[in-house]
Amino acid sequence: MAPLTRRRLLGLGAGGALATAVAGCASPGAVSVNKAPALPAAAPGETVTLTYWSWVKDLQKVLDIWNAKQPHIQVKATWIPSGNEGGYQKLHAALAAGGGPDIAQIEMMAVPEYLLQNGLVDLSRYGADKMAHNYDKALWRQVSFNGGVYGIPQDSGPMGFFHQPGLLDRVGGRPPRTWAEWAELAAEIRRLGSRHYLDSFAVSDGSVFTGLAAQAGAVWFRTAGDEWVVDMTDDKTLNVARFFDEAVDDDLVNVSSELFSPAWYAAAAEGRIVGATCGSWGDALVQEVSGGAGKWRVAPLPVWGKEGFGSAHHGGSTAAVLANSAHPAEALAFIEWLTSTPEGIDAEIEHLGIGWSPARHYIGAKRREPSEWFGGQRYNEEVFARAVTQTNPDWTWSPLTKLTSDALANGFRKKLTSGQSFVDSVAQAQSTVVRAFRDKGLRVREGKQ
Amino acid sequence: MSTTTTRTPERRGTPAPAGGAGRARSGQQRKQTTAAWVLLAPFLAVFAFTFVLPIATAVGQSFTTTTRQGLFGEEGIQVAFAGWDNYVQALSGGGFLTSFGRVLLFGIVQVPVMIAFCTVLALLLESASAKCPQFFRTAYFLPYGVPGVIATILWSFLYVPGLSPLLDVAGLVGIELDFLGADSVLWSIANIVTWTYTGYNMLIVIAQLKSIPGEIYEAARVDGAGAFRIAWSIQLPLIRPAVNLATVFSIIGTLQLFAEPLVLANASPAIDTEYTPNLAAYTNAFAYNEYGLASAQAVLIALVAFVLSFAFMLATHRTSRPERKARK
Repeated sequence: MAPLTRRRLLGLGAGGALATAVAGCASPGAVSVNKAPALPAAAPGETVTLTYWSWVKDLQKVLDIWNAKQPHIQVKATWIPSGNEGGYQKLHAALAAGGGPDIAQIEMMAVPEYLLQNGLVDLSRYGADKMAHNYDKALWRQVSFNGGVYGIPQDSGPMGFFHQPGLLDRVGGRPPRTWAEWAELAAEIRRLGSRHYLDSFAVSDGSVFTGLAAQAGAVWFRTAGDEWVVDMTDDKTLNVARFFDEAVDDDLVNVSSELFSPAWYAAAAEGRIVGATCGSWGDALVQEVSGGAGKWRVAPLPVWGKEGFGSAHHGGSTAAVLANSAHPAEALAFIEWLTSTPEGIDAEIEHLGIGWSPARHYIGAKRREPSEWFGGQRYNEEVFARAVTQTNPDWTWSPLTKLTSDALANGFRKKLTSGQSFVDSVAQAQSTVVRAFRDKGLRVREGKQ
Repeated sequence: MSTTTTRTPERRGTPAPAGGAGRARSGQQRKQTTAAWVLLAPFLAVFAFTFVLPIATAVGQSFTTTTRQGLFGEEGIQVAFAGWDNYVQALSGGGFLTSFGRVLLFGIVQVPVMIAFCTVLALLLESASAKCPQFFRTAYFLPYGVPGVIATILWSFLYVPGLSPLLDVAGLVGIELDFLGADSVLWSIANIVTWTYTGYNMLIVIAQLKSIPGEIYEAARVDGAGAFRIAWSIQLPLIRPAVNLATVFSIIGTLQLFAEPLVLANASPAIDTEYTPNLAAYTNAFAYNEYGLASAQAVLIALVAFVLSFAFMLATHRTSRPERKARK
């Protein structure tokens, strides 16, 4: 062993030196780019090339339409895996290395996460405020923090109730208008067979629950000066939790297969699942139910009674300008075209099958036509165009959205494994989230104190 | 070669022995040493950058924490030394410790089953009466060629209700099976892991079996030993190092369980983000950007794997020593 010691020492020494070198590096994003002077637009006649990282396929086809008309602002698409499936990891790593694209697709709920890294450009410094009137108010609220605008809404998902009227007819039912009616109808459907359910509740995905809490009027995250206020255990949220506790206890709702999982598709195709509570983008996924053509319709989301709202946003993404971009002004000009002009929106719908249009006055030409698959229903105009005007205008996301969603899902799973109630899980999630805020070095307090 | 390379630098300091022959030899040695270092350089460079540096960074990172000014850190972000905070946090959450308990339970059941299974397969294929051993060796080894992610997707088609023919058949005869439930999914994962790695471990054992000299078998047969007696008294003791090696690999592999639960989480509501230690570290690092905490968890996983492997080797070493003495 003795002869090895020297080499080992050398190795350890080198390792230690490298570790010191790494520790000595300044943390990237330690200083906000938004504290620096705004970058000027390119000189007239100069050609600017922008990069755009996104997980939608065929984005380049849409960019080509813009590129053909704007020779001086050329945009190139690079595909990344969707959100937390790997795309965000790439973006975070690129930002940490001091690079990254000019524009990136970032989900509405993930925007504040990037602010923790000082990774996004405040677009209000480049004139985004003047665009606000074109966009859905609730969505604009979700990208606005600290008086700045950190992303432009690109699509969203007002929630509705996808269902098979033929199966409802078998119990003489109609689409439920309230959640109370939903529970009654669910009980009726259970009589059709031991594996028949009206709807599903995902214990492994907190996003639908979050949407429904927002619909009930909850606002989980607020800011007060430099401090975050977390309020997940308000009465509205707990009512929603209690409602689904009872639904699961009474075996009214399918909890064994997640929405749009292989098992769910199998059950839906066999007529054992009647409906799905989901954002408008669910239309494309519902259409993959084999043999489902003509059998499905869309109804408005059931409501929580007199309080609360008609619908909620489920998912949705933004086009954000990243901190290391050299041309934020040009990037914003392109994003405005993409997300608020009929030409941009129609191209996105045709080539990308993007979610609900974020523009206040234009849902897309294709979406005004009746849908053959949904039995000729004009569901976009009938259901979602109205739903999008009835969402919770005060809802905002926090820098810990992913952790919040996981904390909820980890707790919700225990409903099936150890019978822990959703009400308890929400309370546990709140304390997990509050602790995580502190671990991130942020100031936070609980709303109910 | 390693002894020459490591010894020479020490010699350099000592005065060279008198006489021309000695000087020539040391010059030659020095040349050899330089050559060795030059040849080693590519390996060392890659080793340092992909192994030593990441480990040193992870250990360093596990002792850091971040503080922010403003709502998000727009007024400034600082990285500071955190002492043992990340380790305390990793161990106090509960979920991380539970995940260790889960993989240990998994290991206690799955590793012995797989090792016994692969040893039996190896002995059968290397026995004199085996038919088409080459074919079966390849067939058993084939699952190892299927990446863990793909294997899990394939198996999930046999696990998911509504798709699985197994569940349909069981349903016909009135048995309600649930491969993805809270109590059963761990064993469904164990099944995938066993399916994947039994053939691989079998090959390790077969390699050792092939190195047993033919004379030993002849001597045993002359002494009147049958096939079972040969397997029990000759083959099993002699393949012990290979079986031990396979066991250590399996223990480490068990602690690093990751791809199977990650993929199966899509189908099974019972798998959460802290289902296995590696999954917990992955989630903290890449979903929450909590690199300090994730590094602390990774260091803990490595330590536990080290301790368990070392304990196993110590235990097997101790039991095998008296035998060796007896043989001498």
